[in-house]
Amino acid sequence: MAMSEISATDQESSEKITIRNVSKAYESTQALEDVSFSVSEGEFCCVVGPSGCGKTTLLRTIAGLDDPDSGSVLVGGDPVTDPGLDRGMVFQEYALFPWRTVRGNVRFGLDRPACECADCEARVRELIDLVGLDGFEDAYPKELSGGMKQRVGIARALAVDPEILLMDEPFGSVDARTRDRLHAELLDIWAQTGQTIVFVTHDIDEAVTLADRVVVMDADPGTVQSTISIGLERPRERTAHDFVDHAAKIRAELGSPADASRYHDFS
Amino acid sequence: MSHQTDTDSNTMVTAGFEGDVKRYLRGLGGLLAFLLVWWAGAMVTQPSYLVPGPVDSAHAFFDLFATSTAIVVPIFGSELVLPTGVARLAETLFHYVPGLLLGASCGIGLGLAMGWNGVLDDWLRPLVRALRPIPPLAWVVFAIVWFGIHHTGAAFIVFVGAFWINFYGAYGGVEGVSSELTDAASTLGVERDLSMLKLVALPSAAPHVLTGFRTSIGRCWMIVVGAELFGAPGVGYEIINASNNLAMATSVAYMFLISLAFLCMDVGFRLVERSVLAWR
Repeated sequence: MAMSEISATDQESSEKITIRNVSKAYESTQALEDVSFSVSEGEFCCVVGPSGCGKTTLLRTIAGLDDPDSGSVLVGGDPVTDPGLDRGMVFQEYALFPWRTVRGNVRFGLDRPACECADCEARVRELIDLVGLDGFEDAYPKELSGGMKQRVGIARALAVDPEILLMDEPFGSVDARTRDRLHAELLDIWAQTGQTIVFVTHDIDEAVTLADRVVVMDADPGTVQSTISIGLERPRERTAHDFVDHAAKIRAELGSPADASRYHDFS
Repeated sequence: MSHQTDTDSNTMVTAGFEGDVKRYLRGLGGLLAFLLVWWAGAMVTQPSYLVPGPVDSAHAFFDLFATSTAIVVPIFGSELVLPTGVARLAETLFHYVPGLLLGASCGIGLGLAMGWNGVLDDWLRPLVRALRPIPPLAWVVFAIVWFGIHHTGAAFIVFVGAFWINFYGAYGGVEGVSSELTDAASTLGVERDLSMLKLVALPSAAPHVLTGFRTSIGRCWMIVVGAELFGAPGVGYEIINASNNLAMATSVAYMFLISLAFLCMDVGFRLVERSVLAWR
């Protein structure tokens, strides 16, 4: 397979996120080495790879939380320098503010001066309704299950209506049944809002369930191995032939079966 | 304080009404046993002032409220006639409360600033390390030469004691703020450092800050009594004053009074803490 497909100047207009030759090293590891790819407006893009392939670093770079050592990230054609309300982030361990209620967490971004909302109360109610947490408005995070916490995390990120949603293994800590339900809900939300989503996971089935396109990464150094389009109708059945084929293709990209234990694939 | 924590964890182990009753009965048993030993010890000890008995001490305690004493309110200068026990407690509080509040505010302020600002931390850390080990009572000499040993001097010593405990509470609290929470806040539009401190660091450090303050309530009672042994007016001074006249039962009565005052403040603050930290 070839390296990633897109060079930055092609299709500039439909590109929402452009990652250009991004490299980033931590003390002893090369987290990202010359990574380039792009995500189109409204696309659901999953990034799959083994632990240590720099997929979280990549997400943080797009969010503006980490600066690349070299290369650049463009969002809507403008280089990313800092975090901004145009890019919402959902964290693996939820990162909810424990001293705020569900309502207070969802409302957090709306209270920032940079954000304008005509009726913030209504907006918060609408979002809590969207993620199915009616009746839990006044609960503190400690009273919620993992799945519910992540619903709050998603509602909080959506509140400021970001154009891009960055999700870092958001369902890694919830049980399988809850995860399936959250997948369906996330796809519903995405269908309603039309956001551009970059979703990092190490679960191949999760990627095939959700994505328009899967970016497969390799570790040490973190590079893009290939990108695979998933042209399947939604909702997708894990047992369907096409689904299994796509998953197998990604699995093959990630490495030979003998090598598969390197990848934390729970499928 | 550790005693209180123990009972808290016991509550969880032996949950339920029956367990509670058992626990209170045991506590009552312990108290009665102590009173008995105390009473017997006082009976056999001669001369009697060496160990004043529980009955004498209780008498002395009630006497504190049967007589009255006039005290001068600092700053306003007006005279106030109160039952003796209340009057002495008030005198202590005249330097305890300002010392505690001012020391806590300054300590929390500096702790937050140093925990949040790395450059300031670099500048001040060695200084803090050097000054911290000095026991607050060692500052008595400066309290005397700077302020004289009256309310201001005693307040200063309490200030020093409150300062360090609260400093470390706030410092540790801010240092422990998770980077995930500050990252989340950044992606939600928190840009200025001061907003981050207010919206994330402060609430996140609140449990540490409040624990620091609660600890300082107790520590400052020890310090304030120490300061008063050098001559500042109040319950601590009365303990030594009474003993100078060999009225040891009165000393014990004042010791009770301190214990009672501390317990009230501690319980009161715990209630505040519980409601402020309901999210924990």
